[in-house]
Amino acid sequence: MAKWSFKSAALTFTAAAAGSAIGSASTYMALKGGSGTQVVDVLELSVSGKATASTVAAMELSRASTLETTPTTLAAPHSAGPLHPATAALAAPPVPFVAAGTQPTPSNTVTDAKLNLALNLFGGIYRWNASPTQQWTIVGNTAPGGESVLWNNSSAGGSSGLADAHILYEPY
Amino acid sequence: MKKEGEVMIDHRASPGLTADEAVKFGYHPDQVKEGALFEAATMTCAHCNTIVIRNPMRVRERATCLQCNQYICDLCDGARRHPDYVHRPWKAIADLVQSGKFTMAGTSVNPVLIPRKGD
Repeated sequence: MAKWSFKSAALTFTAAAAGSAIGSASTYMALKGGSGTQVVDVLELSVSGKATASTVAAMELSRASTLETTPTTLAAPHSAGPLHPATAALAAPPVPFVAAGTQPTPSNTVTDAKLNLALNLFGGIYRWNASPTQQWTIVGNTAPGGESVLWNNSSAGGSSGLADAHILYEPY
Repeated sequence: MKKEGEVMIDHRASPGLTADEAVKFGYHPDQVKEGALFEAATMTCAHCNTIVIRNPMRVRERATCLQCNQYICDLCDGARRHPDYVHRPWKAIADLVQSGKFTMAGTSVNPVLIPRKGD
């Protein structure tokens, strides 16, 4: 299948508590499977800090223990599109979003996978690449495997800050 | 050994993390201090799909599943020793969900596969 890029621009990743629904829209990036049978491989994550003063953010990629309700269609300046311009439209495209009726709940369960992306958003850059067969995989569209959230964890001591980020993914 | 992913944390143009903050977030202070560029290999647990940043200073052995012959994380190493453990790698879970016959609940380490209605 084709690879896609979900990009956020000038998002203030407001620190939020783990295990509770994120309080505000446009403070996180979430990616959900497009159907109950879809598998989405996450291939790369990148966070580029844009804070204007020292701000240590406890960025994490987490499974969602409770899904959002009614995700808001992504709008500029954010984007999600295929890396190859000739990519065919998908019958059930994955759902990237930064806002929803009720925001998703990042899992705080010890036995749910998480990826630590902590960095100083004042000039710091974080990039993670998966090697082939070693991707972070989203399965279906139900919690916890069906949705993953890139967010800032106040429970881990994160402070809110401005950043750009992207998630490269490949749906099947 | 499977191919490894890589992580890069660049604080070359940033004040980075203080020693206390670095320890709190699981880094060695030298890895993320002001001016530091930290690069490391990552491994993916075959059972729960979590990403592990390799700690080059770790001396404890890392677990390998003898059934799928792949790296597994410490949590999954513990889980597989339970008497009621069922070996089901993340890839197998993905295949079952993709088949349309199951949905996944539970957690990554302790997944629960629920048959979908009609199957």
